[in-house]
Amino acid sequence: MKILVADDSRVMRQIVIRTLRQAGYDDHDVVEAEDGRDAYDKVHAEKPDLVLSDWNMPNMSGLECLQALRSAGSGVPFGFVTSEGSAEMREKAADAGALFLIAKPFTEETFRDALDGVLS
Amino acid sequence: MSAPVVTELLDEGTVAEIAEQAWAALVGEEEVLVPLPGEPPTDPVSSWVEVVGPWTGAVVLTCGRDTAEQLARALLGEHAPEVVDGEDVVDALGELANVVGGNVKALLPAPSVLGLPEVGAAPSPGSPADTCRVDLLWRGQPLTISVQGCALDLTEENGVSL
Repeated sequence: MKILVADDSRVMRQIVIRTLRQAGYDDHDVVEAEDGRDAYDKVHAEKPDLVLSDWNMPNMSGLECLQALRSAGSGVPFGFVTSEGSAEMREKAADAGALFLIAKPFTEETFRDALDGVLS
Repeated sequence: MSAPVVTELLDEGTVAEIAEQAWAALVGEEEVLVPLPGEPPTDPVSSWVEVVGPWTGAVVLTCGRDTAEQLARALLGEHAPEVVDGEDVVDALGELANVVGGNVKALLPAPSVLGLPEVGAAPSPGSPADTCRVDLLWRGQPLTISVQGCALDLTEENGVSL
């Protein structure tokens, strides 16, 4: 399976990829995107099985990316990995069609809890 | 109704706890933040995120440049190159402010908006009553986290947008 990791921070993309591996998802291909616009383009070009996206990014936010994908007819499984985990954000994420929202800072257990049903 | 001041909304212990969780998850499980002040760094660098809402201000992380480089190396883990470049230091320091800021924002009155991280010379703090500051030591080196009301235009030209 292929996972698209979208975050404007290269360091955070590395941490997300490392945590995926530590959580046991080490046999998946990983593609990186540096903002929401890049993620939108790469969903179409790379056809990932899951998108893990930051929320707050320049050019196009993660939420805008998800909304654009759904408007374009893409049903790619999509989850947020973001520093904001308030009830308001979780509701916005769910309303837009996100499967989950992982709040930073996260642990490998947090990743397993969110991803087990999606990647198993 | 007047705008709330941050000391009515959260305390130093809460900010320190948020920072400790961020450090344990991002910097390393064994990495400890000790709640003690140190000598101010001679070459400080700050990263911050702006919060705009019923309470407006910034969450600012300040440390020495050597500390910032060590933080970047720790965050990159096994992917850290022999010499960590400036871009990675800016990225890592900004992301730490972003994670701490995002968790602080969750405790502030809604609705509010979190800005993108910036790195540079720290924005000027607001009044002491509207500042919640914790002094910490990481690997024996000083590091401060300040949740501070807005004194000046935070978008002034003193930072590097990430």
